[in-house]
Amino acid sequence: MEDLLIVKDLKTWFPIKSGIIQRTVGNVKAVDGISFTVRKGETFGLVGESGSGKTTAARSIMRLIEPTEGEIHFNGINVTIAKGGNLRKLRRRMQIIFQDPYASLDPRQTVNSMLVEAMKIHGVTKSRNESHERALKLLNKVGLSEEHLYRFPHEFSGGQRQRIAVARVLTLNPDFLILDEPTSFLDVSVQASVLNLLKDLQKDFDLTYLFISHNLAVVHHMSKRVAVMYLGRLMEVAERDAIYDSPKHPYTYHLMAAIPVPDPEFEKEEVLLTGDVPSPVDIPPGCRFHPRCPYATDKCKKEEPILEEKDEHWVACHYNIDFKSGEKKP
Amino acid sequence: MKERNRVLEIKDLKVNFHTYRGEVKALNGVNLNLYKREILGLVGESGCGKSVTALTVLGLLPENAYIEGGEILFRGEDLLKKSAGDIRLLRADELATVFQDPLTYLNPVLKIETQLVEVFMLDKKLLKQAVIAQKTHGKNVTFTDILSWKNDSVMESTNLKVSRGEVKKMAKDLCVDLLRLVKMPDAERILSQYPFELSGGMRQRAMIAMALARRPSLFIADEITTAVDVTIQAQILHLMRELRDKIDASTIMITHDLSVAAEIADRIAVMYGGNVVEVSSTVEIFRNPLHPYTKMLMKAIPNVKKPVKKLKSIPGTVPEMINPPSGCRFHPRCPFAMDKCKKERPKLLEAVEKHEVACYLIKG
Repeated sequence: MEDLLIVKDLKTWFPIKSGIIQRTVGNVKAVDGISFTVRKGETFGLVGESGSGKTTAARSIMRLIEPTEGEIHFNGINVTIAKGGNLRKLRRRMQIIFQDPYASLDPRQTVNSMLVEAMKIHGVTKSRNESHERALKLLNKVGLSEEHLYRFPHEFSGGQRQRIAVARVLTLNPDFLILDEPTSFLDVSVQASVLNLLKDLQKDFDLTYLFISHNLAVVHHMSKRVAVMYLGRLMEVAERDAIYDSPKHPYTYHLMAAIPVPDPEFEKEEVLLTGDVPSPVDIPPGCRFHPRCPYATDKCKKEEPILEEKDEHWVACHYNIDFKSGEKKP
Repeated sequence: MKERNRVLEIKDLKVNFHTYRGEVKALNGVNLNLYKREILGLVGESGCGKSVTALTVLGLLPENAYIEGGEILFRGEDLLKKSAGDIRLLRADELATVFQDPLTYLNPVLKIETQLVEVFMLDKKLLKQAVIAQKTHGKNVTFTDILSWKNDSVMESTNLKVSRGEVKKMAKDLCVDLLRLVKMPDAERILSQYPFELSGGMRQRAMIAMALARRPSLFIADEITTAVDVTIQAQILHLMRELRDKIDASTIMITHDLSVAAEIADRIAVMYGGNVVEVSSTVEIFRNPLHPYTKMLMKAIPNVKKPVKKLKSIPGTVPEMINPPSGCRFHPRCPFAMDKCKKERPKLLEAVEKHEVACYLIKG
């Protein structure tokens, strides 16, 4: 399959300034060197705990935040150096849906003007009539009807608002969507319908998704391949089932064991991770997971492992650990 | 037997809120029982009345709320008939709560030690007793020891004088011990820190410690794992399971997440639109859900262990509480709704043994 998005060594640091001359005294290393590719037509899941840099990565890919270092290629075009008209063209093809539908819609615009405005800015349609027809068609597609066209955001529920956000993005006919926690503001009974809608739209419009969530069960439901992020770096990237059923990185292993299962009779292994995620300002030396890793050795404290591939399964760990027996091989 | 073990009994509780948009009918006749030493999972979507139920029990409803009817029997006494002062004393001694966001409830300008010692100093008699026990038996008194004194509090009569310093030291020792009990890493160091210096998981542990310090008999945990990460959530759920065996309390665990309830609760009560619609043991409710809402809810959540191609979503949205649907509040979204459902509200009745459900399809 063709690679649609290639991210190479992406770093996004936020400087910490202090003193009267505002000297940079440190950096928040939100994204600290991540590389992955998203293939055409797939849903690529990105999971991680809060503060792991998922959202910063998403915004850097969209160039809503300028990345500090690294390269992003979208369909052969270098996004990192794109400017002006070229960048605008790219933005039409790659779009983002945000977490909070209460904040991402303009409260003073009707649904119609929101949808039409996007088309106007990007010159997607020729005439007002055409824009209107397209808006209506897309609104139907996301499960809303004509009567909703002239309403304001406050008249809608959270789930409906997220549908409007999806329709607005689709007016531009994008190839690639970043979904940044699209359902975490919604109730469970509504979440299911939005997830189903996203799956249907992917088929109908031939979309590629980068799906970001802290909810591991939702990512499992949506994704084909999954990347696990920890403190600004990727720990493991593989096919969904490989990540969830036979993880190779100790962090992924613990993360998967922590997922609550909606089945009281499911016999779960009790493996707990100790401690909390360290601050991204002073990242531990060596492997950034070593202070919490039960398998850590001296080598882990000194050398940072790189993400290495073996049979389409990328892992950043010095060892090959058998979690059942606790045995580890280099 | 069952009667005697009942700690809390909520009977037909109705609570409304006055708002400028109209009357919000938040609770519409809630019936709920809590038995000794159990963890009851109170599950439902936002706006279903989970938290309002908890706040009513605690006597912490905001000013615009008024209680239309019902009873809350705590050890046989109606909490709704008690004065605000009495409830306040009861909250100090018997009812403990931990809320979702610990940073809002911890005092930001006081060290953890100050906040925790203060709680222990409420009961100086107990501290004196602990000091005396320590002196006479010559070994350290731990928080677990104190827990076991709860029922047979016999003051050992001695002529030993206890100084104020000793009492204070005892309080501090108990703090360290309690923090260790809630698995706080580096308990001594944490005592001299301020809330902002702690991580989310540690703050939540500090809150749990404060709630337990008074040895409550009813512990309400309102969405305590919602604001923390999965790995921390697993730690806290593990802690709650451990504590259940150590503390002599009944717990109401409020959560919107069925999976969390499945992990921790002994029994589950499902709420919808201000009513409890189904109550049973956790295993039974997952094996044999009866109410259409519970059934649909279970099919709407993704399960990592049993993946499905497509989730079943529930049509419609959570009901508006200003103009709630008539009859059964779930009827507009229910695929099996009958005429009767639109007119009359079904009562919570026992359908199978120890499995209550409020639905005309099942009973009534």
